[in-house]
Amino acid sequence: MKTNTEADVRTDTGIKVMALFFVAIIFLALTTDPIKTGTKEGDRAPMLEGKAYNGSSWYEFDMSDYLTQNWTAGDAEGQWLVVEFMDTDCPFCVRSADDVGYDAEYFMKLRPSHATNPGMGPWDGPVVNFIASATELDIPGHETSRDEIEAFRDKSGDEVCADSACAERAGQSHRFVYIDDIDQDNMKEWKVPGTPAYFLIQPDGIVAWTSTENSQETVFEAIMRITPEA
Amino acid sequence: MVNQNLLLLAYIVPIGLGTLLMTKAGQGLGKTLSGRQPLLKHARRRHMFGLNLVVLAGFVVSVHTLWISNKISEGGNVCSSATVFSCDDVLGNAQYNTDPVFGLPWGMIGMVAFGALMFITNSVSKEPDALWAEKYLNYGKYMTLVGVPIIALLISYEVAMEKICQFCTMAHIANMVCLFGFWRAGKMIEEGQWNDDEAQGINWKE
Repeated sequence: MKTNTEADVRTDTGIKVMALFFVAIIFLALTTDPIKTGTKEGDRAPMLEGKAYNGSSWYEFDMSDYLTQNWTAGDAEGQWLVVEFMDTDCPFCVRSADDVGYDAEYFMKLRPSHATNPGMGPWDGPVVNFIASATELDIPGHETSRDEIEAFRDKSGDEVCADSACAERAGQSHRFVYIDDIDQDNMKEWKVPGTPAYFLIQPDGIVAWTSTENSQETVFEAIMRITPEA
Repeated sequence: MVNQNLLLLAYIVPIGLGTLLMTKAGQGLGKTLSGRQPLLKHARRRHMFGLNLVVLAGFVVSVHTLWISNKISEGGNVCSSATVFSCDDVLGNAQYNTDPVFGLPWGMIGMVAFGALMFITNSVSKEPDALWAEKYLNYGKYMTLVGVPIIALLISYEVAMEKICQFCTMAHIANMVCLFGFWRAGKMIEEGQWNDDEAQGINWKE
């Protein structure tokens, strides 16, 4: 009787290779719990990179310094993070600079009251740190520089932000960190369609809220709604 | 945490050994090993053994990169470093760590590719004289050839990030060695050396 044993070799090998493949998949499933990296709500926020300005000098920014990896939902101790993507020459960013500053002062617990919500008592929720990632949009007239970022943040110098002096923008000088994203690296990685864009990040680095997905809600309202009370 | 350099060595050794067995330099090694494994004295058995080793290392390193990707997504640090060698920075970069068409992690693509190559090399190793063996070796060659522009794309990502993922590089090297292995197997068939005669001397001059 004639039999073709060649097919058996391939079947046998195919089964063994598939078994090995599934062993690898089971190993991955049992040892990891992946969360998609991205900028939609529920995704893990990508790490922001670049030099950051804190009011006195530029230094290497490390976003992990702001995160608490072992944070659990409901824990009011962990510090949250608001990331603002802005362009110093974007008129909307210039106009909203005062509100961002007031929110930052209040939620970072630098002031006991909110400038535009005077009825609010001292913030008793978790500390919400603010970070601005300053980019340069590909629009004529939006050329920026580190000097301009400093001028925007500190309300100082002779730089021009959106056709007017940076020093004369609304609100007070900001006391949070500005990251140099003139090369748009962070903006592209975060898939930011335009400025200003805001992201509220949980202490464990998960995106809790984005302004693009919640256009009817302000950063202030989002923080009040989402962060746990002390 | 296991030392990442030790883990890297665990991939370098089989890939290096596999490459050695597929080259002229491996003839002496094959002779030495044939005391334990008599089949290794045959050039094509030695060649396929080397190819299987490299493919297996490529598969395991692909699993490892996918594991690192998953761990980074959990918020962990696996192999981050301030130097140019930092797989965390490469595999954790959402802009580059998935393929642009299906959005699959590169590690998963590596697993599938090396899994398919493993099927080819194992099948041919078991039945090297089968009618389909040469065709399968050609498939392997084309598959690894398709991997070349993909590797170029991934290297361009690393250049853009100014970081190198050492484990990804191991997978790239494994693919290139496999390409050589499949090409060399084709040459052996062409030159009539694809048999289990105790032919030690492959014509390397051509």
